[in-house]
Amino acid sequence: MRALSYDGPYRVAVKQKPDPRIEHPQDAILRVTCAAICGSDLHLLHGLVPDTRIGSTFGHEIVGVVEEAGPEAREVSRGDRLMVPFNISCGGCYYCERGLTACCESTNPSSDVACGVFGYSHTTGGYAGGQAEYVRVPFAAVGPMKVPDDMQDEDVIALTDALPTGYQAAEMCDLEGGETVVVFGAGPVGLFAMRSAWLLGAGRVIAVDKVDYRLDFARRWAGAETLNFEQVDIITEIKGMTDERGADATIDAVGCEAAGSPMQRAVGIYAKNVAGSSVALNWCFHATRKGGTVSVVGVYGPPFNLVDFGTAMNKCQTIRTGQCSVKRYMPQLLEHVRTGRIDAKALITHRYPLARASEAYHTFAQKKDGCIKPVLLPHSGETVH
Amino acid sequence: MDETTLGTGEPARTPPRLEGAGMDLDPSRRPGVPRMHEPRPLPNTRFPPERQRSDVKVFMHGRPNKQFPPVFGTDAPPHGLSGKIREAAYRYPDHYMRHWTMLLFADRVDSWEHRLWKMAPALVLGVVGWAALSAAGHRRWR
Repeated sequence: MRALSYDGPYRVAVKQKPDPRIEHPQDAILRVTCAAICGSDLHLLHGLVPDTRIGSTFGHEIVGVVEEAGPEAREVSRGDRLMVPFNISCGGCYYCERGLTACCESTNPSSDVACGVFGYSHTTGGYAGGQAEYVRVPFAAVGPMKVPDDMQDEDVIALTDALPTGYQAAEMCDLEGGETVVVFGAGPVGLFAMRSAWLLGAGRVIAVDKVDYRLDFARRWAGAETLNFEQVDIITEIKGMTDERGADATIDAVGCEAAGSPMQRAVGIYAKNVAGSSVALNWCFHATRKGGTVSVVGVYGPPFNLVDFGTAMNKCQTIRTGQCSVKRYMPQLLEHVRTGRIDAKALITHRYPLARASEAYHTFAQKKDGCIKPVLLPHSGETVH
Repeated sequence: MDETTLGTGEPARTPPRLEGAGMDLDPSRRPGVPRMHEPRPLPNTRFPPERQRSDVKVFMHGRPNKQFPPVFGTDAPPHGLSGKIREAAYRYPDHYMRHWTMLLFADRVDSWEHRLWKMAPALVLGVVGWAALSAAGHRRWR
């Protein structure tokens, strides 16, 4: 089959790889019909996640059709269309039983820090990703959810990661109604966090980014006020808008490749002496009022970052964080999408055939051509924007 | 949506009228609350899962007493010098800094190895060409 293949930092190509096969009785093989590129895939592309091996296939946002199901994945059958959470979860271990499928103990030999994830380095188990014609899906009857017949792939692809992650980010702010929420990052996860913050009762939502077309989208689509951190002193501005105290809650939807500090970028992103830049997280601490909440869903890889933890500690802040346990959010968010309260498809700006995956990555990474969310259509031959 | 309150940098005292605003305010409408609930297996769970068998070399991080999990990925098996460095890195648990720094180093080595292999045909051709030219030059001046 054809699959995306990592060729070293900043390079991906599409190559021939062996077809996936059933390796466990609870596996299924999916013919991938839609695979999105996530902002966190860019951390892999840029060589920031440990144990990202040459030849790996990325892709953890997957919708596809079952080609073959293992003997113990009896509840799915050939022809079923599935949306697949990025977490690979057994459903019965200590954490899965309690709802934390993102912490499953059965799927990652390589590290204690995360469960198995599709196409996200050997630090998360070494699974092949879905940016390919076919993908192996372990525990196919447990994690994935069947796509309703009246919904298209593009309506639901965000339910596999970006939308639940954004929703969880807002949920972790523990809103009681009327609070001011500042969201750092107006990419897909940040935009979904803004929209979710309104659903969860926020009184005011402020988006921070440096990319004007994304801020414009945040105003139109998510109803947020916007600040461009390259045009203002961002912390002073946020405090000025919040009675000089800071926001009740902030969300870091950026992660380890934040702009805003040449020193952090030099040490973390270019020299790779630490695990990327922590500017967004440090700004969250400063932009949140004392006793407020900082919610972190931006991805940070091991081993460590230059985090201004003293500020958070002295300001008595609550820090909430975690990979999203996608499975538990899918049913409710599917209803929000179906009823039009969240138009998830609106974020998809670019559609590429698999053969042009490299172009898709670079357009997304460089924020060219108004790109917000690109998807790959592995069985289509045309580029449609 | 009340456009007049948006994008001005002024406080939006009247929130925009987005459909569904506030409808998940009640904690009972929040799927992630409480973060950990009473134990109940997910639907269709068969636990414990059978152990996956594979010929692919898969490393487990070196925490004593940790059982190898039943299911794992087999993409991009370790190879070459980078594979040796990864194997050494996985002797240490993931709370050791050296575990991660060795893995990051192995990633760089993997990249160099890959480029070397890609350049190998050109390098061989270059060496052969240089040898042929040297031999021809040697005969001419003899």
